[in-house]
Amino acid sequence: MYRKDVRRRRTILVALIVLSLILLSIHFSEPRSGPLHAIQRAVATVLSPFEAIANQALKPARDLINWFDETFEARGKNEQLREDLEEANAALAQAQTALGENEEFREMLDLNQNELAGFDPPFEPVTGRIIVRSPTVTNATVGVNVGSGDGVEVDDPVVAGAGLVGRVADVTSGTAQVQLITDPRSSVSVKLVPDGPQGIVEPEVGDPDDLRLDFVSNDDEISEGQQLVTAGWSNEEYSSVYPYGIPIGEVTETTLGDENFQRITVRPYAEMRALQYVQVLTGGPERPGIDE
Amino acid sequence: MIITRQISIRLALIVVVCVLVQISFLSYFAILGAQPEVVPVVVAAIGLLGGAVTGGVVGFATGLLLDAALLQTMGVSSLILLSVGYLAGRYREGFEIDSPVGPALVAGGLTLLAAAGFVALQMMLGVEAQVSGLIVREILMKGIIGFLLAYPLYPLIRFILRPALVLEDSPARRPLFRGRRSKLEPRRSRRMNTPGGVA
Repeated sequence: MYRKDVRRRRTILVALIVLSLILLSIHFSEPRSGPLHAIQRAVATVLSPFEAIANQALKPARDLINWFDETFEARGKNEQLREDLEEANAALAQAQTALGENEEFREMLDLNQNELAGFDPPFEPVTGRIIVRSPTVTNATVGVNVGSGDGVEVDDPVVAGAGLVGRVADVTSGTAQVQLITDPRSSVSVKLVPDGPQGIVEPEVGDPDDLRLDFVSNDDEISEGQQLVTAGWSNEEYSSVYPYGIPIGEVTETTLGDENFQRITVRPYAEMRALQYVQVLTGGPERPGIDE
Repeated sequence: MIITRQISIRLALIVVVCVLVQISFLSYFAILGAQPEVVPVVVAAIGLLGGAVTGGVVGFATGLLLDAALLQTMGVSSLILLSVGYLAGRYREGFEIDSPVGPALVAGGLTLLAAAGFVALQMMLGVEAQVSGLIVREILMKGIIGFLLAYPLYPLIRFILRPALVLEDSPARRPLFRGRRSKLEPRRSRRMNTPGGVA
């Protein structure tokens, strides 16, 4: 009886492992329009209303925790404000949340009126709220509540008020998965402004706050605080997902590398973990190799 | 654990709620750089209560749901979480759980293993980015948070699944490792092991 149980248990374990590996293989080998991706998108579509409800229902708890977090910091800075802050707990939590959201929207408006105004045809920003986040160390992705029904397509750039956030990696009718620039699979071609060299910005797995700028020669003079924008390169066949000129972040540290390239640390302008709203840039100028 | 239709529904509800809370709530926070992970803790708790098969199957299903909800690579979370559920179940089948520290330690350890497993699997699947030393801190923190989360979650899940746990004190457990004996396993007399021996 015991041996029969062990055999059954091992059979189930092996079957599940094999099934997982088959799913992995199919996911990598089939195109985005394949049946497994279609099933995945269908499940995501079914789940998205529940995610949105859960997101909204848990927002007060999230705000409260954020408020405690901010209050804790405020206490450290100014002990005298403690009593006032405690009296205004609930009101302050709501006010801070509203102010934060207003600030995010104002920054998005500034970005639209300045950096993104020069494209022909212009981008049409679609504002979305972040409803889910991946918990794993190696997946820096978020889900937003806008999808193909809102004109969002795969590879559309995603920005927040402060700068570049990432690109759309997958889309359902009502939701989109955004791959953040801090995701280990992300790399962005950038240019140091005003007249610096170009390079590639990539994340370091496990460090969500900083990015690395690669392929900048040891001979180039880079100063701390220098700003990076998307390079937006393009030729007749291929082009970058990101258009030219979206701010990404600024240089915080430079050291000469062992090889020919400097080791440059970049702090992104967008605070990935604090984001609540983002804008997906739909439409815009033609990008060879992207829009087909 | 006796799996009836009602218990299956309860397990499914636990999984769905757990995944929704994770992706819609807990993933928004970071404690010393690490996001709290409730999913491996819940899968480990179900494995500890239901055994290896139940733990493995629930872990696999939870992983599928998580990957589908986040539009991630299908199969990655399933593989990791089925291992978490299976190992927790094997622990339960080999050792008696007689204090609240045991489940918390198992859940914390398996959460840590799951976080490390995710990183290792993604590296094998072609992530070429450099790895920061901070990742070690993040994985360790996830383990510690998992340990702490297990204190309220294990009793809660045990309470929800209580009708199915009528055999939880069965003395039929087998040792996990040769030479280690579960406290509940009956001791055999030497005479009974002697070939042809008659009491």
